[in-house]
Amino acid sequence: MLQVKKYSEDELVSLLQSKDAQAFNYLYDNYSAALYGVIYKMVEDKELAEDILQEVFVKIWNNFSNYNSTKGRLFTWMLNITRNLSIDTFRSKTYKKQVKIQSFENSVDNFIDSTSGTGQFDSLGIRRHLTRLKNDQKQIIDLAYFSGFTQEEIAKQLSIPLGTVKTRMRTAIMELRKILQV
Amino acid sequence: MESKDIISSGLLELYVLGLASNEENTNVRRWITQFPEVDKEIAEIQVAMEGYALAQATQPDQSVKKKILDRIVLPSNDKVTSEVSFQKNETAKVYTIPSYYKWAAAASIILLIGSLIINYTYYNKYQSVSANLQVAQNELNKQKEIAAGMSKDMQVVTDKNAMPVVLKGTPHAPDALAKIFWMQNTGEVYVDPTNLPQPAADKQYQLWAIVDGKPVDGGMISIQKGLYKIQKMKSFGKAEAFAITLEKQGGSPTPTMQEMYVIAKIKI
Repeated sequence: MLQVKKYSEDELVSLLQSKDAQAFNYLYDNYSAALYGVIYKMVEDKELAEDILQEVFVKIWNNFSNYNSTKGRLFTWMLNITRNLSIDTFRSKTYKKQVKIQSFENSVDNFIDSTSGTGQFDSLGIRRHLTRLKNDQKQIIDLAYFSGFTQEEIAKQLSIPLGTVKTRMRTAIMELRKILQV
Repeated sequence: MESKDIISSGLLELYVLGLASNEENTNVRRWITQFPEVDKEIAEIQVAMEGYALAQATQPDQSVKKKILDRIVLPSNDKVTSEVSFQKNETAKVYTIPSYYKWAAAASIILLIGSLIINYTYYNKYQSVSANLQVAQNELNKQKEIAAGMSKDMQVVTDKNAMPVVLKGTPHAPDALAKIFWMQNTGEVYVDPTNLPQPAADKQYQLWAIVDGKPVDGGMISIQKGLYKIQKMKSFGKAEAFAITLEKQGGSPTPTMQEMYVIAKIKI
C-alpha cells in the first residue's frame, strides 16, 4: 500500500505515543531498511538479523511512552535500541558469530536492494560520500559503531593508547561531519 | 571545564557512540544542560552518525513486517478475546515478557470489572466462614510439621543445582511475589509462595511453565499462611517463563490470563 501521507516528526511522535497503527506502519516503512542495515552489518546473518529487527520494532512499540523530544532525536533513539539489542544478542552465549565471507554477488544484491524501496533517504549517495573518508578513520568509526567493542577493546585492536581512542574518534567524526555537511 | 575543551576532547563523540563510562555519561548529561554549545555539538554528532548508519541501509525481507504487526497489540483492533492464547512461536525462541504484560493488562482491563465484582462477593461470603476454620487448622498443622518442613526447605534452597527464579507481580497484583527453585540437574521445580496474597477459599494458585510458547500446567499451590513451606511442583526440563494464576480449587486446563499474579521470564 503506497503511503502518500508524510508525517512531521512531532506528528509522528505524538501519534506513536497514542499507539496509532498507521503511524507505526509509516515508521516501519521508512526506517526498517536503515535499522536492518545496521543489524545485518553487526551480526552478518540474515535470519538472526530479521529476528532482531522484529525485537527492535516490538520494543519501539512497547516502549514508545518512554520517548519524548527531550530524549533527543527519534532516529538516534531507535538506532540506540537497535545497536544495544544487536550487541546483547551477539554477546549472549547462545549466539555464535558465523563468519560469512561476503561474496561479491551478495554485496551487489544488497547494494541494489538498498537503492529501491520507500526510504526517504539516499543511501547510495551517502555511500559515495563516505568513500572520501580515509581508511583508518572509517575503521575506527566502524569499530565504535558496529563491533560493540569498548574503548579498551578498540585501543587494543588498533594498538594505540586508551587516551588516543578519544582524540582519533574526534578527528574521524569531524571529518565525517565535513563530508556530510553537518 | 570550559565548553570548548569539552567539545575538543572527543568525549562527546564517545558519548554519542555509547562508548563512554557511566561517570563520563553523567558528566556529559550535566554539561548538556549547562552549555548550549555542548547540546548543539551532541545533536550534530548524532546527525552525522545517523547519516553513517544510513549508508548501510538494506531492505529486509517482506515477511518481517507481518510478524511484527502480529505481535503488537493495537488498541483499536480488539485482538483480545476471552480465550487464552499465547503467541505462536515456530522457532521456539524466547520473546520479551512485556508483550505478555500488555496483552494480559489489556485483557484484564476489559474483563476484570465484571469478574472483580463476582470475586469480591465470593471473597466476602467465604472469607468469614473459612477464616476461622483455616486458622484453627493451621495452628494444628504448624506444630506438627514445622520442624520437618523447615529442614526440607533449607535443603532445596541450599542445593547447588537450584536456580532461583523470582516471579514478579503483574499490574493485576503489583505487590505479589513468588520464588521458584529450579533444579538444573533434574528439572524439579519447587515453589515458595509465601508472598502471594491469601486467596479466597474456593480459589487456588496454579503454576504454569511456558514451554515452546504454550502454557503447561505445573501443579496446584497450597497457601498456608505463616508457614514457610516450599512445595514440589511438576518438573520441567526447559521453560521460557513461569507464571502463577489464580484458578478455582483444583485448577484449570488453561490459565485464566486476567488472574495472573506473578510471572518471570527465564534468561538464558
